[in-house]
Amino acid sequence: MNTRLILHINGNEHSLPDAWHGRRLLDYLRHELSLMSVKEGCGEGDCGACTVLVDGEPMCSCLLLGGVLANRSIVTVEGLSDDHRQRFAQLCEQHGGLQCGFCTSGFTMMSAWLAEGGSETGQNSSDKLLAGNICRCGVYQQLKKVIADLL
Amino acid sequence: MGSSASTIRPTQLPDLELFWPTHIDELIEHIKGGAKLLAGGTDLLLQARNQGQPQKLAWIGNIESMHNFAEQDEQWQVGAGISLGKLISNAAFRRAAPAIVDAAQLVGSVQIRNQATLLGNICSASPAGDTLPALLVHEAEVETAKSHSLLLDDFLIAPGQTALAPGDILLSVSLRGLRANEISCYYRHTERKALDLAVASVAIRLSFEDDGCTIAAARIALGAVGPTAMLAKQAAESLVGQPLTKKSIANCATIAAEICNPISDFRASADYRRLLIRVLVGDVINQIEKRVQLLP
Repeated sequence: MNTRLILHINGNEHSLPDAWHGRRLLDYLRHELSLMSVKEGCGEGDCGACTVLVDGEPMCSCLLLGGVLANRSIVTVEGLSDDHRQRFAQLCEQHGGLQCGFCTSGFTMMSAWLAEGGSETGQNSSDKLLAGNICRCGVYQQLKKVIADLL
Repeated sequence: MGSSASTIRPTQLPDLELFWPTHIDELIEHIKGGAKLLAGGTDLLLQARNQGQPQKLAWIGNIESMHNFAEQDEQWQVGAGISLGKLISNAAFRRAAPAIVDAAQLVGSVQIRNQATLLGNICSASPAGDTLPALLVHEAEVETAKSHSLLLDDFLIAPGQTALAPGDILLSVSLRGLRANEISCYYRHTERKALDLAVASVAIRLSFEDDGCTIAAARIALGAVGPTAMLAKQAAESLVGQPLTKKSIANCATIAAEICNPISDFRASADYRRLLIRVLVGDVINQIEKRVQLLP
């Protein structure tokens, strides 16, 4: 019934095949577009490993159906500027801000959002804003330093 | 279509049939046909994944009237498509309904708040739903497609159960913004700082006389201490006509703790929840007093 659904992913136009209208954005990004930065952790919106920016705002791609994203802009780690990714990686190295690396994509996306001035009220602390990103290794204190240096 | 689309099934999420109605009438046809209304989807997609139902979803993103978010004469209208993030980021709404914004900011995480809607939180009708006590103190009324408006207090019936008739849908909620000399606040107790459900919660709205200290009117609502979020009328009335004192606050907190109806579960015992209500009522009133000092 809907003929053509266009998604803007990392700056490129993608026509979403019918079969993906009722499936998760997460799976489309990973399995159709091979954007492997997008991780599935809990699949329930708790862990934030699948965070992408939709029209500039962080969302969980495990809780989004492809079919609701017509004409929206979606950014994954692959779509961030080299400059931001390198700075984030260097700061992670400097502070020990990653261990197994599974949560890193989600934190990278949140760091990009925060670096662009992301906030809900204009004055939230970044601690609170990162509550939706879980790290099982527990490098939170180091990541706090990474984010603080970045901003 | 890539061949992998039909072979890769990383989760149990069933293939969902998605509709894009552009009018309310069209949406209702889909609902009659067995589809569920999809707004934010943060609960619904988990249901689909965990229970295999629903399989048909009608997304409201293309229905313009569902995205109404406006104020008229201190009355705010929030459409079914409005996310919690939109409420929080609206400065005028933050001034008009601080308790609701307090509550919205405690739901899930930034990511979830950008997706989940206020009306979704209402429809879930969880006893611990954060926005519900806050909406109650802001005199929320819900509007359904069958065009009658219903007090939120009457809409919430039991855990997960609302007065919404089969085939009917929720269109919007209207709520009363603060007037001069009024302030509201919501607070909850949780085991963790985020991504947790309230063990007990309290929302209060106080109206002050022109002297700035005598209470002219009060509304108090309690969460997670009964089958639904509930108004604590006697507790609110006990504050009216006098200034806030340690004694009046303690008395109010005692009444609230007495009239609530908590259960014991893995989060907390009923007795502990009553104690929490007593403490939270005092905390929320203290917070209101602080906010009053910031009023222009």
